[in-house]
Amino acid sequence: MTAPSFVSMVNREWRVLLDDPWLVSLVSWVPLLLYFLMWAIFSQGIARDLPVGVVDLDKSPTSRALVRHYDASPALEITQNYLNVRQGADELRSGKIYGLVIIPKDLEKEMILGRPPQVSAFVNNQFLLIGKNVNFALLQAQGTFTAKVETVKNLAAGAKVLDMALSSALPISTQATPLFNLNKNYAQFLVSAILPAIWQILMVAITVLSLAAEKRRKGLREWLEDFPVRGVLAKFTPLILLFWLHGLLFLWIMYIFLGWPMHGSWTLLIFAQLLTVCASIGAGSLFFFLTQDAARGLSLAAAYAAPGLAFMGVTFPVTDMTLPARIWRNMLPISHYIEIQFGQVNYGAPLHTALPQLQCLLLFVIPLLLVFYKVRQLGSVQNRQGSNQ
Amino acid sequence: MSLWEICKNELRAVFTNKAILLTVFGGVLLYSFLYPLPYAKQIPRDQHVVVVNLDGSQLSRRLERMVDATPQVQLSARAYSLEEAKHIFVEQKMAGIFVIPENFYRDLLQGRRPTLSYAGDASYFLVYSTVLEGLAGSGQTLAAEVKILRMAMSGQALALAKEQYSAVKLNTLPVFNPTMGYVNYVIPAVFILILHQTLIMGAGILGGGQNEERLSEGRVYWLKAAPWKLLLVRTALFVVIYWLLCMYYFGFSFAFYNIPHLADFSDLNILILPFLLSTAFLGISLGLLLPRRELATLLVLLSSMPLIFASGFIWPDSAIPAQITAVIQFIPVIPAIKAFIALNQMGADFSSILPFWQQLWLCAAIYGCIAWLLFRRQVISG
Repeated sequence: MTAPSFVSMVNREWRVLLDDPWLVSLVSWVPLLLYFLMWAIFSQGIARDLPVGVVDLDKSPTSRALVRHYDASPALEITQNYLNVRQGADELRSGKIYGLVIIPKDLEKEMILGRPPQVSAFVNNQFLLIGKNVNFALLQAQGTFTAKVETVKNLAAGAKVLDMALSSALPISTQATPLFNLNKNYAQFLVSAILPAIWQILMVAITVLSLAAEKRRKGLREWLEDFPVRGVLAKFTPLILLFWLHGLLFLWIMYIFLGWPMHGSWTLLIFAQLLTVCASIGAGSLFFFLTQDAARGLSLAAAYAAPGLAFMGVTFPVTDMTLPARIWRNMLPISHYIEIQFGQVNYGAPLHTALPQLQCLLLFVIPLLLVFYKVRQLGSVQNRQGSNQ
Repeated sequence: MSLWEICKNELRAVFTNKAILLTVFGGVLLYSFLYPLPYAKQIPRDQHVVVVNLDGSQLSRRLERMVDATPQVQLSARAYSLEEAKHIFVEQKMAGIFVIPENFYRDLLQGRRPTLSYAGDASYFLVYSTVLEGLAGSGQTLAAEVKILRMAMSGQALALAKEQYSAVKLNTLPVFNPTMGYVNYVIPAVFILILHQTLIMGAGILGGGQNEERLSEGRVYWLKAAPWKLLLVRTALFVVIYWLLCMYYFGFSFAFYNIPHLADFSDLNILILPFLLSTAFLGISLGLLLPRRELATLLVLLSSMPLIFASGFIWPDSAIPAQITAVIQFIPVIPAIKAFIALNQMGADFSSILPFWQQLWLCAAIYGCIAWLLFRRQVISG
């Protein structure tokens, strides 16, 4: 039997792909919808007006000024003034407010007498990131309030100039610069990691499903009978192009359409994406050929790719992961890719810093080789059976 | 067909189906160890920071030691200019830069308010806030010391100065997750999502698989049974299996990871019932609608990320577009995450989670009706 040309095999694979309405959706509008949803969730970018409650036991002009200071912070909104601590604590427990500030009785009196009173703030840290925001905003508002009070006090006590009064209120000033994400924008922080994570889930799942579609058509054996390795390579070709396009799409959305800063090399980034695509197809096809069943293969793929974001090291730093976590992390192509993406986008890092990750991505040729071995086996079993008949 | 016969058939259908067993038992078990794995250390520590000390005075070196002594920060490299620091930062993947300005000590003595600069990599939020906590904390301690010293020099008693260095003190206390651990933060919500998603997958694989078989095998047991009986048996089966898995998560896993579990045992069970019922009904309905068994897995897999990030525990509800929050209210996992966290992590009264509990019952009623109608349609058309 003469071998059909590779191009004609690839053309056949395109037709098979376009024949399945589920696969067509998965490679066309589903990625777009998911990207859009994730961006929309975080589109506000910065947490504003987080609800915080106050129990003002002093009810003096000073305590009211303090409450106004908290309320003026863009991150906070004083939504409730509770009459007693119990009421406030109940609302904090039910999650209606993220923080509860308790202003003690005699706040004003103690301040005038020079006995610094203590304001307590209970911050809900079950929602850790939100809690950190509330905590930071409260401390900042408190800082400016104290500085104001003390500067006025120092002026009254005879400090000659405003600068001197200010300096004895705040002897050291500090300046914190958030590098690479100047606004501390959550969208930039999380979405730039979530989209690649979703990309990987899609790639692994679509690979499994498109092989399953082939099995449904005429069975794996018959498909792989004559040219097993060429057959799967032809199957992968349209997938590689489409996945690469999905990858370019989220890069385009984030760094061109939304205009987030990008400092590095596009060439390197796009090349890294190609390697990630091949690695993910390798992983996905391995899951399918291990089970040779769509449902079980997809369950394995789900177990493998779904927790990807947790291991990428963006939400929780890699340096603080334990060894088993780092081993699992290394088995996910996307965790190597994301380091290259962050390195290029944020730091414009030189090429040699990306080499270790590129090498790791190349190692994913191993699952591909296993897949080739497996399909050859499947094909030759069929051939033997054919010759026996 | 009697209830008992249906029961036997359903049990066989579930426990001989490798895909269901792999997803339900394998998935729940695997995830109970895999998800907490990256966060095992709970809080990031000793983030590597490069220091630029342009002052070189005794005091600045003391400040360096104070910073180094904080659990959050480790000064692991030194640079002699800002340019060099930036270079080291990128090359060695540091978490931050700490700059002590020239003439820091002199300016401080002369009352000129020198400025300490911190720069952190804000593309990693947790790292940034950790570095900032460490650096700002030691800066503030030094500032307080300076103030106390000045007050003492201007004639106040030292003991008094130590108390009075600030006009008002703010004491912020983290509650519900006092150690600010990451496992305690992520896992309670993610576990609810895992239970929800694997239950839908399991029920979906069963239903979708039977739809496939129907095409090839003709009349089978689920077409002979009365719709309400079949719905009853299948729901009860999944609810019982998942009740046991819930006990495993809320009992064993929470204890294993030292996650707080404040809910009363009976309150917890009263909440589990509508959660599992509504989820099982949703899964069964999906299974009846989908033509092939792997499609349930696919839908669940793709919906996980949007659901977890829109559920309100990572990003506040008020910041998420209202259309998105409105649509997902009909998915059981959303009220369930809120209710379970309030009840079990924050020790809320059952009365304050009552709205979520009612919402879960509403979901159960809606999906229960849909599932019953779909079963009926199947019997009539089959």
